[in-house]
Amino acid sequence: MYEVRFHGRGGQGARMAAEALADAAFLEGNYAMAFPFFGAERRGAPVVAFTRVDKQKIRIRTQIYEPDYVVVLDDKLVDLINITEGLKKGGMAIINSAKKPEDIDLGKKVSTATIDATGISLDVLGVPITNSAILGAFAKATGLLDIDSIKKGIVDMFSMRMDKKLAEKNARAAAIAYDKTIVGTCKAQRTFEKRKMWLPTYKEMPLGLATPPMKTEAGLVGPGSFIENKTGSWRTFKPILDHEKCIMCLFCWFYCPEGCIERVGNTTLKINYDYCKGCGICANECPKNAIEMVRE
Amino acid sequence: MKIKDLSLEELFTSGHTACPGCGGAIVARIAMKVFGKNTCAYFPANCLLVFGGTYPYNAFKVPYLHVLFENSAVCAAGISRALKKLGRDAKTVAFAGDGGTADIGMQSLSGAAERNEDIIYICYDNEAYMNTGIQRSGSTPFGAWTTTTPVGKKIAGKEVFKKDVPRIMMAHDVPYVATASIGYPNDFLNKLEKARDMKGFRYLHVFAPCPTGWRYDPAKTVEIGKLAVECGMWTLYECENGVFRITKKPKLSPVTDYIKLQGRFRHMTEEQVDTLQGWVTEKWEKISGETKG
Repeated sequence: MYEVRFHGRGGQGARMAAEALADAAFLEGNYAMAFPFFGAERRGAPVVAFTRVDKQKIRIRTQIYEPDYVVVLDDKLVDLINITEGLKKGGMAIINSAKKPEDIDLGKKVSTATIDATGISLDVLGVPITNSAILGAFAKATGLLDIDSIKKGIVDMFSMRMDKKLAEKNARAAAIAYDKTIVGTCKAQRTFEKRKMWLPTYKEMPLGLATPPMKTEAGLVGPGSFIENKTGSWRTFKPILDHEKCIMCLFCWFYCPEGCIERVGNTTLKINYDYCKGCGICANECPKNAIEMVRE
Repeated sequence: MKIKDLSLEELFTSGHTACPGCGGAIVARIAMKVFGKNTCAYFPANCLLVFGGTYPYNAFKVPYLHVLFENSAVCAAGISRALKKLGRDAKTVAFAGDGGTADIGMQSLSGAAERNEDIIYICYDNEAYMNTGIQRSGSTPFGAWTTTTPVGKKIAGKEVFKKDVPRIMMAHDVPYVATASIGYPNDFLNKLEKARDMKGFRYLHVFAPCPTGWRYDPAKTVEIGKLAVECGMWTLYECENGVFRITKKPKLSPVTDYIKLQGRFRHMTEEQVDTLQGWVTEKWEKISGETKG
């Protein structure tokens, strides 16, 4: 049996990748299952999905905590979460990155494969949706599956949700990625702290279960505590404000769903990139076109 | 009230986990700016509850409570009475989605309106149950794709028209009922301010586009909020102590301008577009007839 964990962002297609991989394994005569982690995730937030493959019937129905392989669809996630958490000995990480495996720091020395899936997807599909390309890299790096089954799996799963032509384009992206994958070993220089949870006992709970703003070992909790949640890593495009063109109409300040455009006195605006998710409403609504969206 | 007069304090903080380009987040942020610190907020199950605060984290800097889907209005009413008894000067606001207003929360909303409870009820309308993954609600417009009104051989999108909740609320003879859109900031701010300064049951229905569920580029959220009003799909009016007034006269441009931007309408046939256009024209004739008479 082998188990795979996919790390992606909501809307990137980690779940579809998990399903296509399961389908490909099934076509090769295995039993397979694929499922996402069900949470309150929104588009852009870090998400996980799982695939489990075995020669025999699979009786386990749990999430995968100790995967044999981890697949990362967005290399910015490498800096945010410990993707090798629970990875089995002799396991492997497959990462969407333009870098070489030796230049990637996962905090643990594991065999690593890299592929510039974003570049391939932009070339072949025209959008930075990398779930098909990364599967090609998975087939090459692990050698578990034939690339033709992967292609078939992608066409099967993708044509259920979109048109067949696009599904075939996705299969082509996987084939290109298969040839370009680099396998090596990553470095291990940084350490990841385990994320702490706030789990108070009933005695520690404030009266009436109302939670005032307070500092705990898991950070700030209670009203206004989301301020510690930096959502800036979600974005692909970044707004750049041209102060000379700005007439202080404040439309961007008003419309920003994140509230990340700050008013400095009555004359200047400042964009707080810690929280900006790069939706582009500010650039779209600016009457003087003073805001431009550029790729990160 | 003008944009520049708005408070600088963010009572709905950054760092919430809404999708990029969320219309509901704009509604919550601006509404909290207008209502100020002396406010308690009540949420039934909706997107805002999830991205604005999954326990123990929260984006609101005011007291808030998560209540059940069907009883947001009545919970808010109870707290409003308790605050009055305690002699505190605070406003009670319920933020509900269109599902929690038009379908599930209707009975408690109607009850609270009938008793003329001293609360502000804001419905941010994204025209489907977005939180649970885009299921149709009573507020979903004709022809729109959702996961429960799929596009297939027998049906193509929703087959019935949008439920007109503001008019149902007007029928309750409450002090204030208004519709707004995030595309019209001054109009939206005026209505929020009026609602804030009045007493009794105040109902605001705000049009809040959803890029994830409506399938459009997140940058176009506000643009779509404007187009919906221009083509007459959404009408801006208010009813203050029984006096009905249209606050923005639409250009009545063809609905195709509005629907072509959105993936949820992509499948629509000419016949369906005509049906939708017919509904818009009829609705507008009815509304403008009322103001004349």
